[in-house]
Amino acid sequence: MSPTPKKTNPSSDVILEVKDLVQSYNGRAVLNGLNFKVRKGETFVIMGGSGCGKTTLLRILIGAQKPTSGSVHLFGEDITKASSQELDRIRLRFGMNFQFGALFQSMTVGENIALPLQEHSQVDPSLIEMIVKMKLELVGLTGFENFKPSELSGGMRKRVGLARALALDPELLFSDEPTSGLDPVMTAVVDQLTLDSTRKIGVTAVVVSHDMTSCFRIATHMLMLGNGPRQGEIIAEGTPDEIRANPDPFLQQFVRGEADGPIAFRLSQDDYLKHLLQEG
Amino acid sequence: MKFSFESLLNAGGSRLTYGLLNLRILGWILYGFTRPGILVPSQILSQIIRIGVQAIPMASLVSLSVGFILAMQSSTELGKMGADSFIPDLVSLSLMRELGPLLVAIIVVGRSGSAVAAELGTMKVNEEIEALRVMAIDPIRYLVVPRFIALIIMLPCMTIFGNCVGLVGGWAVCTLEMGMPSSFYIMRAMQRPELWDLFSGLIKTAVFAHIIITIACYQGLNVEGGAEGVGRATTSAVVYSILWIIIADTILTGLFYFVL
Repeated sequence: MSPTPKKTNPSSDVILEVKDLVQSYNGRAVLNGLNFKVRKGETFVIMGGSGCGKTTLLRILIGAQKPTSGSVHLFGEDITKASSQELDRIRLRFGMNFQFGALFQSMTVGENIALPLQEHSQVDPSLIEMIVKMKLELVGLTGFENFKPSELSGGMRKRVGLARALALDPELLFSDEPTSGLDPVMTAVVDQLTLDSTRKIGVTAVVVSHDMTSCFRIATHMLMLGNGPRQGEIIAEGTPDEIRANPDPFLQQFVRGEADGPIAFRLSQDDYLKHLLQEG
Repeated sequence: MKFSFESLLNAGGSRLTYGLLNLRILGWILYGFTRPGILVPSQILSQIIRIGVQAIPMASLVSLSVGFILAMQSSTELGKMGADSFIPDLVSLSLMRELGPLLVAIIVVGRSGSAVAAELGTMKVNEEIEALRVMAIDPIRYLVVPRFIALIIMLPCMTIFGNCVGLVGGWAVCTLEMGMPSSFYIMRAMQRPELWDLFSGLIKTAVFAHIIITIACYQGLNVEGGAEGVGRATTSAVVYSILWIIIADTILTGLFYFVL
């Protein structure tokens, strides 16, 4: 079992608040009335199985998608009602680390990290160069400024994505599946970088993941989204210890990674026969 | 004044129709003239090289061939009537008014329009466009406007250059094959066209440039569905651009020679 992260002592400042959030596609609710708060200093991990709506939730949280109903208050402002200009102003206060990095392939690593600084700060180019080197040092990629993203491994690309997300020293960092597809050592490295960002730099982190080892390693607060019959509901929420102690069979099956349980892999025998005969 | 710019920049919110794309491009260009730093000269220059300068060899080869063809085809028919001396007139007028702008535009559609659609489409699939938005960088300003300005500048330049190369093609046929004196060819080719013939061709190229780049960017930014979507967008960009170029050419030719 991975060591429980050292608990931070989050203040009561709410940095992100989601109220009655619903997202439906063709009448099917993917997210069903979500309510939660993220406080300053927390590493808030949103976990759940494939198709439970994690990525949809993240897209709504960063303002890339409007929800069907409900509100998302980021730094006290409702981003679901914000204009494009207001949203851009809010976006300068958070960084986003995409699942596959979303690095600009036509640019070098250094240019990728420098871009937000060039666009949103009045900093001298020589200082930008220095900041880029500092961010690369932070993610353990010193000397890779002139490499193209295509010349890097998956883990390195994720680390460059993290460096770019931290370029403007955001108050809040969103991370989408930061460890998916990485080997255990690289997973631990990326987890450590997330922990460093929150503990050393003081960034609040919202991480979407289904890697349980990684989730328990970095989280100070966790939220589990359900799928199947409990699609889009919050199954459980709490500290890592509370999540481990939660008896919910759905949650325990997911945490333990068991094939049998309430999260059905196949249809029941009756449903299967009914489905088969209808299709036939 | 500032308010109207900003409302143009975000016209339509997250939706992006072809009309809204045009409005936002206009908004950013107007805004760019009032606020330094909005339009980055180095980005425009880089696109001028990629979209324009690098397409010059191909456009030149096509123009040269068209010059050859025009001179060779007309020499047969005009020769029968003893009107060989009108070949330079025909070559220069055809190139300036019609074939120069049209053929260079079609080359640019195939080379640069498709490349822009594929590039932006791939960026959309790889979440690079989304990354720009999350970084509070408008993709229209950062990706589309430099390409738009670059092509609006470069297509007329390429057409003028192509016209000159086409005239060289006509000259080669007239002097080397038909024995026409060079001085006579140059005099006829330069004297016959009026300034309006050149301008009408250049107006066409500006319209064609607008059609090529807006359709390519629109198709690229609206890609859905991975690699297949990128392929579809690229094909659509080429097909729709050529279609609208020919329609626009018909309308403009009618306007220039029958209405104005």
